[in-house]
Amino acid sequence: MADYSPNGDGELQREFVERWRNNAYGCFSSGHKFCREVCPVMQVTRNENHTPTAFHADIVAMEKGLLSVEDVADDYVHCTQCGACELRCPNTLFTGDFYRHRTRTVDVVKAMRALMVATGNERPAWKQWNARLADARNEPVLGEVPVSQEHVRDWAEGLDLPTGGETVLFVDCEAAFYRTSYARAFALLLQKAGVEFGLMREQWCCGGPAAEMGYVDLAREHAEHNVADWREVGAKRILAPDPHDYIAFTEDYPGYFGDDYDFEIVLGVELVAELVRDGRLSLTEPVERRVTYHDPCRLNKRRGVHEAPRELLRAVPGIEFKDVDHVTQWSYCSGGGGGLPIEKPEITAEISNRRVARAEQLEVDTLVSACPWSERPLSEAADGRLEVMDLFELVAQAAGIEVGGRT
Amino acid sequence: MDDAVVDELRAILGDDDRVLPNVSSRASRTRVPAPFPVHRWAEFMPDVAVLPVSAEEVSQVVKLANRLRIPVVPRAGGTGLSDGAVPLRGGICVDVKLMNKIHEIDLEDRTVTVGPGINMLKLNEELRPHGVFYPDDPASYPCSLVGGRIGTGGWSLLGARFGHTRDLVISMQVVLPTGEIVEIGDGGGRKLRKSSTGLTLKQLFTGHQGTLGITTEATLELVPRPELEFSAFFAFDDYMKAYRTTGALTRSGLATLAGVVLFDEWKLRYLRRDDEAYIPQPPWVQAVIAVAMYGTRAEVEPASKRVMELGRAEGGKYLGDEISQGDWASRHDRYATPLHGRNREGQVVPMSWHCEDAALNYSVLPQVREEWHAIVERYIERYGIFDDWGMFCYTNGAFKPWADYLVEIDVGIWEQQLDDETWAGWVACKREIAEVALKYGGSITACHGATREGDADLVPTEMGSAWEVVKRVKRALDPNNVMNPGKQMLDEAYE
Repeated sequence: MADYSPNGDGELQREFVERWRNNAYGCFSSGHKFCREVCPVMQVTRNENHTPTAFHADIVAMEKGLLSVEDVADDYVHCTQCGACELRCPNTLFTGDFYRHRTRTVDVVKAMRALMVATGNERPAWKQWNARLADARNEPVLGEVPVSQEHVRDWAEGLDLPTGGETVLFVDCEAAFYRTSYARAFALLLQKAGVEFGLMREQWCCGGPAAEMGYVDLAREHAEHNVADWREVGAKRILAPDPHDYIAFTEDYPGYFGDDYDFEIVLGVELVAELVRDGRLSLTEPVERRVTYHDPCRLNKRRGVHEAPRELLRAVPGIEFKDVDHVTQWSYCSGGGGGLPIEKPEITAEISNRRVARAEQLEVDTLVSACPWSERPLSEAADGRLEVMDLFELVAQAAGIEVGGRT
Repeated sequence: MDDAVVDELRAILGDDDRVLPNVSSRASRTRVPAPFPVHRWAEFMPDVAVLPVSAEEVSQVVKLANRLRIPVVPRAGGTGLSDGAVPLRGGICVDVKLMNKIHEIDLEDRTVTVGPGINMLKLNEELRPHGVFYPDDPASYPCSLVGGRIGTGGWSLLGARFGHTRDLVISMQVVLPTGEIVEIGDGGGRKLRKSSTGLTLKQLFTGHQGTLGITTEATLELVPRPELEFSAFFAFDDYMKAYRTTGALTRSGLATLAGVVLFDEWKLRYLRRDDEAYIPQPPWVQAVIAVAMYGTRAEVEPASKRVMELGRAEGGKYLGDEISQGDWASRHDRYATPLHGRNREGQVVPMSWHCEDAALNYSVLPQVREEWHAIVERYIERYGIFDDWGMFCYTNGAFKPWADYLVEIDVGIWEQQLDDETWAGWVACKREIAEVALKYGGSITACHGATREGDADLVPTEMGSAWEVVKRVKRALDPNNVMNPGKQMLDEAYE
């Protein structure tokens, strides 16, 4: 059995521990583990190494010289960065108000993964994924369209979208190369409502997933490219239909650029809800479906966005909507986030499988999501049991739009 | 532990992902939320952890351990407030979290049969559509697991109405320290609540702190979901008035009474000082009582009127619906909010919360309260890293709330500062608290378990003439002392 002695990357590890020790101690000193049963990964593996509590306790153990980054590297892969643990943490719920304390677990996982990369403890599949990202500048999502800058606009074929302008639409890699119906539905809804927008000259991946997997320099490179492109075309408003991009633009990018970063970031689902609310989009075509809604983690748990999607669903005529409240859905996930499907596809598949089973219990025919990264694993898990649809696709149908593209 | 043992474990489980000899797996299964000598972490690590999925696997692992004389430490949620799941001598940690299936819901004979790794909140999510629930409701309700509840003889916040864990387990399957798989009930049948056949073994296997075996399946009570929940909080200007009111409420004979809690002056002082969720009360408020009732509308509605009369009879002031309903609803989330201790100089420092518990009769509560606070005060003065967060007394008897109480004193501990000297101070403090409980005819623990260094030393004293019987039982069932060794002074069984 391995002896527990810290390895040679002492200095970087020391800095990491110094940075996160007090946050970790906030969890360690409580030790409740209320997070365990809402964690989508833990619900599958039931391995205490993968609990958010363990992630914090590991830092205390590192401080005591009991663990090294090498020892815990595989454990920290087991996280979708959904944020459920932070919401369920009694420290966040109660001491939050008084001491302005919020247990930060997503950031700890990101920081540990960055430390893994910096100390040569990176994971093979992530290493390969990010090498291909560095090469193609878009994520190597598997599909029929080859991932490259030449094809990054293929999804918009026939939509006649201009380049640049004050408002720029950012389409994430999964939607640009794989679930193109998602991007098309959103663009067509905006066109129908008369919203003017253009595309970037050269759109690289937002860099968010790279940052989530610990490739911070690569992520930063992508952010710099994209922001430079926005500035070149005179963009002031960035439309982010994908929740993951929205997180990158509102949480990662301000950290990179500070006060110079003065773009207005608009979340797609909130914009579409506003267009419907203001009567600029009319939903008149009945959609004969019995649906439930999957709260994407980065909307519901990370940003508290759960009302706008429900507002949209309720506005669709003909639909039967069997809702599950957003707090119950703290413990739901597709398993598609945080790079998990790249390293641990079997866990992602099981998380999605359980999510679809929940939907099935409601006797619905359609599971509606609002995040393209969730839709691939959920569709694979559904496998004909029910249909997985994106909210924009559904709303577009109700608006009488023929979307096209690949679902 | 040598590699041959790990290889044998891998052969038994047939899945390398469920045999974990790596250091992070061992470090993750070392501590529980009880105060932990962080500076001595490495001493308490198991040598290997296994994640079995069946009783047969548990049995094979335990047989191996018994053959080779390797300690076995059962672990479920790892949320205990004493050290039941903390390995004192390394060995094999049998972590049952993967055994979390619901095997059967029997709505006719009103039972649910589960694996020991399931959590009560998760279980109740599945039971809800059937109009029934499993009412084991500890403060750790969102995270503790059925197996740990059985092993530690768990105590429920709703115990006065629905019983505690041992009252709610109808029967179970247990792997003995020698590895045999046995069915344990009140008598024979798996779904019978009362039998007069043989010996009543069921109680022996609830609350043994993992020293007599590992529960691998449990058949539990299903209770009709209550139509109504009623909770009321009353404030008092004097502890003794609150104390007498507590007595009156618990002797009221109201069958739907689920719990009465009495918070003392120190607790109020602490809440005023540092609890962010505390809704400010005027300075005259010196003690608070919380009452909860569950049942049918036909019972709870009239009974709630009686509670309001009794709560006010000695000058208690009803604190209103917001506090009464809100504080009761958040009872689990509020059970340990750390980060707001004060050191001797009055500065806010990051402290862990610890509650030292005892079982005590009603008649001695005011006196024990004085003596316990005096003990903690001495240790605060001497070491500077402890803090007194007040006391509460909570109805303790299942279905019989009138005479004895779970009594807890909450102590803040700055764990980051622990060293050999301060840890020894903490152990001594706990022992003194336990000695007072014994002096007044109490028990050193009502719910957490006497497995902690310090108070565990007093188990033989508390058991008295029965200690010889305890030792004989332990030796008979665990001839080689492999099952969670070092706990509760049971090593004496082998002397």
